[in-house]
Amino acid sequence: MTLLSTPAVSVRDLRKSFGSLEVLRGISLDAAEGQVISILGSSGSGKSTMLRCINMLETPDAGEIAIGGEVIALRKGRNGRTEPANRSQVDRIRSRVAMVFQSFNLWSHLTVLENVIEAPIHVQKRPRAECIAEAEALLAKVGIVDKRNHYPAHLSGGQQQRAAIARALAMKPQLMLFDEPTSALDPELVGEVLRVMRSLAEEGRTMLVVTHEMGFARDVSSRVVFLHKGMVEEDGPPGEVFSAPTSPRFRQFISEHR
Amino acid sequence: MSTLSLMSLGSDGWGLAMLVAAGVTLSVASCGFLLGSVIGGLVAWVKLSGGAVARAAADAYTTILRGIPDLLIIYLFYFGGSALLSSIAGLLGPGGFVGVSGFAAGATAIGIISGAYQSEVFRGAYTALNRGEIEAAKSVGMHRALMFRRIIAPQVLRYAIPGLGNVWQLALKESALVSVTGLVELLRQSAIGAGSTREPFSFYLAAAVLYLAITTVSSWGFRRAESYAMRGVRRT
Amino acid sequence: MGETFLKLLEGLPLTLKLTFSSVTLGLVVAMALATMRMSGMPALDWFARAYVFVFRGTPLLVQIFLIYYGLGQFRPALQALNLWGFFREPYWCALLALTLNTAAYVSEIIRGGLQSVPRGQIEAARACGMSPFLLYRRIIIPIAVRQALPGYGNEIILMVKATSLASIITMMEVTGIAHKLISQTFRAIEIFICAGAIYLILNFVVTRAIQALEHRLSPHLRDAPVPVQRLDPAISSGVDR
Repeated sequence: MTLLSTPAVSVRDLRKSFGSLEVLRGISLDAAEGQVISILGSSGSGKSTMLRCINMLETPDAGEIAIGGEVIALRKGRNGRTEPANRSQVDRIRSRVAMVFQSFNLWSHLTVLENVIEAPIHVQKRPRAECIAEAEALLAKVGIVDKRNHYPAHLSGGQQQRAAIARALAMKPQLMLFDEPTSALDPELVGEVLRVMRSLAEEGRTMLVVTHEMGFARDVSSRVVFLHKGMVEEDGPPGEVFSAPTSPRFRQFISEHR
Repeated sequence: MSTLSLMSLGSDGWGLAMLVAAGVTLSVASCGFLLGSVIGGLVAWVKLSGGAVARAAADAYTTILRGIPDLLIIYLFYFGGSALLSSIAGLLGPGGFVGVSGFAAGATAIGIISGAYQSEVFRGAYTALNRGEIEAAKSVGMHRALMFRRIIAPQVLRYAIPGLGNVWQLALKESALVSVTGLVELLRQSAIGAGSTREPFSFYLAAAVLYLAITTVSSWGFRRAESYAMRGVRRT
Repeated sequence: MGETFLKLLEGLPLTLKLTFSSVTLGLVVAMALATMRMSGMPALDWFARAYVFVFRGTPLLVQIFLIYYGLGQFRPALQALNLWGFFREPYWCALLALTLNTAAYVSEIIRGGLQSVPRGQIEAARACGMSPFLLYRRIIIPIAVRQALPGYGNEIILMVKATSLASIITMMEVTGIAHKLISQTFRAIEIFICAGAIYLILNFVVTRAIQALEHRLSPHLRDAPVPVQRLDPAISSGVDR
């Protein structure tokens, strides 16, 4: 029972500043296995920084992050800033936590299929044939298996983002982080990406989604977290927080983002 | 005697000797270029990630090497190298003058010069990389060596090909200066032929044609390599 | 060291003379070549292309040898034409080779500059009734010059360095004196440092002069006179933090 109750990701009192700008001012958040959490907040609220800290693309100044119960070890570096105490632990954790970026970030010198099999083969060191078979199944799932030998530059934004999601899935991640996955897309391409994300949510995957898509937050996610000035301002199931927000700022945010 | 019969490949012609000399030109230029790639890669790395002092030293290296005539640098390595070796030999025992081979001095000089240019090519190519793709590599747990080998190096090389092609042409043309050390490369061989036949124009013309052939074939090769490497990038 | 430096300085006037003359004459030849390239006449275009191909594809030293030693093969003919006096002199041969060589590179720089002028700005000039001559004088050339200046500056520096090859055909400019001193004294490193310093200073001056010219010619690229309010780095980076 204790094993089941270990949160997929646990964030304790996370703090991060850029220069004199305090972006995260003590954020705590637990995500249970299978939860889909939409993280909302206006620009500058710290939502992307929080996501990037979970994957150690930014190193927090203070606080604790645990993935599946394993705490990421941090230490004070020579220049007084925190840094990961153990790079190989960071790499190991990253290979279990997948990230989908706003700007897709597909590797431009590799084809779609090569993008998907790159990390499974070279980071997880799994057999090539197995990786290719899985990758083709994943590309079929996101609907672009016919593009597998294309280079990223030859795909539309929506197709690139779906390829990036397939790349993330190929790692068999315990946790998926989405950093504004539809913000860089033309409006008519947003739907195809959201449909893929919805199907992932329905499979019971654990997802943290930074987004501006209120529809997704309301209909797909199991929980909504609203950040304001680096702190958690509102937290609860979408049914509750949207109908009866406790924070006036969240109420205002909802009214601006209909 | 016409230029063509002068350059015949038979025993009474100079053709074979000229072709062998062209081979020496290619070897000294290639050795220098490869040495330059190693130096250029290291210097680019220092420029991108070194401390302030190391970066200043790397910048000084490129500025100085690009501001001084290649010929002076070849003299430095040929005469300076010989002087250095002679004094070392003098320490080890009674020795006279020890000479550096023209090939070694020439390849080193070309290497040091083209290293300065190549460091700028590599640095520029690295800054052309998309930061997001590097973040994506981090996010899937690639350690630094793997990320360098699989993501950074292939892309840097791809962006560097046109610049490397230019530097290669420079190295090729610099190799003609190595003839001042007495190394029998294409230009020196032409001078020898010109001296013994009293037909200098024919020999230097033949040398020019061979240089032109080498530069043309290599620029074609670099263009092919570039279009192959850029196959994933949409042409605009 | 000081004595070496002074001896090397005796070669500086010749280095400067060769550089200045070849750069100036080369520019004239280059303009002619660029005009040929853009004339639309196949024969002229073809000639200019072949010229650029040959002079850029072979080492300058080979070009110098072809002119200085190679033409000696045709001495009787040149004497008949009264040209032998010219081709007998290493100075004129070096100058001719340097000029022809730099012209090939500069013609491509000019062409690149002219082609960089945005079509829309040319159309705008035509739309307000500019004649072709006026269009070139007021719009195309000023824009092209600004565009081509950095590349042209590099070419001048390459020419400063290239004059050193004249020493191989006995000209006593800075490198020629350096070579003579090295073979007399074998103090290669000391002489290299002194000669290198002369070239570095010379090239530094050229670089600065070109930069100053660029600055003068590009008021539109300078900072706006009104101080721009400094943006918060987190906002100006455009990344959501």
